[in-house]
Amino acid sequence: MRDPGSNLGSDLGSDHGSREIWREYWLRGRRSAAFVFGLTVTLALVAVALLSLIWTPYPVDVMNIPAKLQPPSAAHWLGTDQFGRDVLSRLIGGAVNSLAVSLVAVGIGAGLGVPLGALAAARRGLVEEVVMRFNDFTFAFPALLSAVMITAILGPGAINSIIAIGIFNIPVFARLTRGAALSLWQRDFVMAARVAGKGRTRITAEHILPNIASLLIVQMTIQFALAILAEAGLSYLGLGTQPPAPSWGKMLNEAQTLMVLAPHLAIFPGVAIMVTVLGLNLLGDGLRDLLDPRLRRQR
Amino acid sequence: MSLLSVRDLSVKLGPAPILEAVSFDLAAGGSLGIVGESGCGKSMTALAIMGLLPEGARASGEIVFEGEDLLALSEAELCRIRGRRLAMVFQEPMTALNPVKTIGFQVAEGLRWHLGLARGDAEARAVKLLDRVGLPQPRFSPGLYPHQLSGGQRQRVVIAMALACEPALLIADEPTTALDVTSQAAILDLLAEVAEEAGLALVLITHDLAVVWQNTAAMLVMYAGRVVERGATAAVFQRMAHPYTRGLLAASPGALDAPLPAGRRFATIPGTVPDPRHRPAGCVFAGRCPRVQDDCLPAQPADFAIDGHAVACLHPHREETPL
Repeated sequence: MRDPGSNLGSDLGSDHGSREIWREYWLRGRRSAAFVFGLTVTLALVAVALLSLIWTPYPVDVMNIPAKLQPPSAAHWLGTDQFGRDVLSRLIGGAVNSLAVSLVAVGIGAGLGVPLGALAAARRGLVEEVVMRFNDFTFAFPALLSAVMITAILGPGAINSIIAIGIFNIPVFARLTRGAALSLWQRDFVMAARVAGKGRTRITAEHILPNIASLLIVQMTIQFALAILAEAGLSYLGLGTQPPAPSWGKMLNEAQTLMVLAPHLAIFPGVAIMVTVLGLNLLGDGLRDLLDPRLRRQR
Repeated sequence: MSLLSVRDLSVKLGPAPILEAVSFDLAAGGSLGIVGESGCGKSMTALAIMGLLPEGARASGEIVFEGEDLLALSEAELCRIRGRRLAMVFQEPMTALNPVKTIGFQVAEGLRWHLGLARGDAEARAVKLLDRVGLPQPRFSPGLYPHQLSGGQRQRVVIAMALACEPALLIADEPTTALDVTSQAAILDLLAEVAEEAGLALVLITHDLAVVWQNTAAMLVMYAGRVVERGATAAVFQRMAHPYTRGLLAASPGALDAPLPAGRRFATIPGTVPDPRHRPAGCVFAGRCPRVQDDCLPAQPADFAIDGHAVACLHPHREETPL
């Protein structure tokens, strides 16, 4: 047994001021290279996305046919596409799209899926059956097929494709939450909370969710990445972002036919997606380590 | 008037009778030990009182606590009483605390929830409670997490949580089973101390007769979902009227002052507790009883009172045991 008195948690908790807590998180977080990298990449992505709203090196959707398919140069750092548009500008412009897709799609999925899963675990019985069979129903359809259906009903476009992707994230989060919550409901400390006279809602909020938070964060980062890829797929079918608006997935798909002629068209969006997904994953891992008191190391 | 009065409590899990006709009384500030081997219904009795029986279990009879029949209350009404007037300490302190919340938060939450204290006030009281159970500041800051404490220290936190709202009844379900011997004694002393200090009634569930002998004024011996012997602790120990009680004592290492002679083994009670679904029609202990006779088999023995204590046996031991 370690000496509890010397532990980090002691100075953290004795002062419940939130500024102290954030300072503590920062001190611990910056020791992890992966977390710092993930945070940096994610913040950079957000900054770039915000920047694109007011400035890009070249206009995002103005064609310049004479300058088409140029390799990277001083004028066009990442070259130009088949319509002579600046690839760097379109990547910067597409960052908004990728962020919006991942945030909203995961937001819909987690925002509805987590409460549903928690409800199923807390109530059991008929409620659980209904929720989980609804999940199975949603899962039973191939995701892309249903996304096609949803966009066919609502009309194509970035927003509708995000909603379609989000709906497919609901069962992912509902299942994960229910499974993890069910095992927690069997634990003694939940029994202790019930003995203390707390109802199911309070127990879920105060005991179940904090214990599965790290699990959910990791799942969210995975779903972020999948959402960006799914949006690319929908855009490929013409159901996602509509031209001429830039989208990383769409750029990647358009580059397919020009792979031999202009490989930079495929490489740069691919790298952008990869770095973003990597950054989000590392951020998720880092957050999990940071938020879980059991993983805290001694100073 | 008694604080807790259990009358003919029966619990069925599906078709299986888990508890049958359990009755006992406990006065305010009194203490009661419940002993028996695994699966005899000790914990079920505790859970029935708390209203936390597992799903599918049905309870009948009466559990009157402070004048209210707990079995007749709604879940919301029970939530008001649990933690406030009724509290419980669990067997396994390693899992009885939420791993991601500080101990200060966990002790304070009952105060905030039941007594409506503001966060600061609740935390100040939590510190006092932690101090009371032997976890003084600054070594044991309320900002510690459960994994930073040892088993005995965690059990102290659990006790602090149970005491927070000054309940009238504390049920301790094998509170020392998971602890090492030194911590066991310290935790039992602490429980007895705080119970006396706060005037709360204590139900101590254990399989260890020595623990009952040292800590409780009255006791129940349970076997296969029934109370087989009950009375004042001193009287039960003096008479040991039920063959099962004697078997338990003989099988307990604490009963032997001298070390076992070489080659001798602890006494055991042959056989196992009958499956609740296939309990015999007559005395439930008949299959394992060294004193079994023909008349034990057809019918369940009624309680048989021997000056001040009751035993459910047709052929109880009548001579006093040399203790």
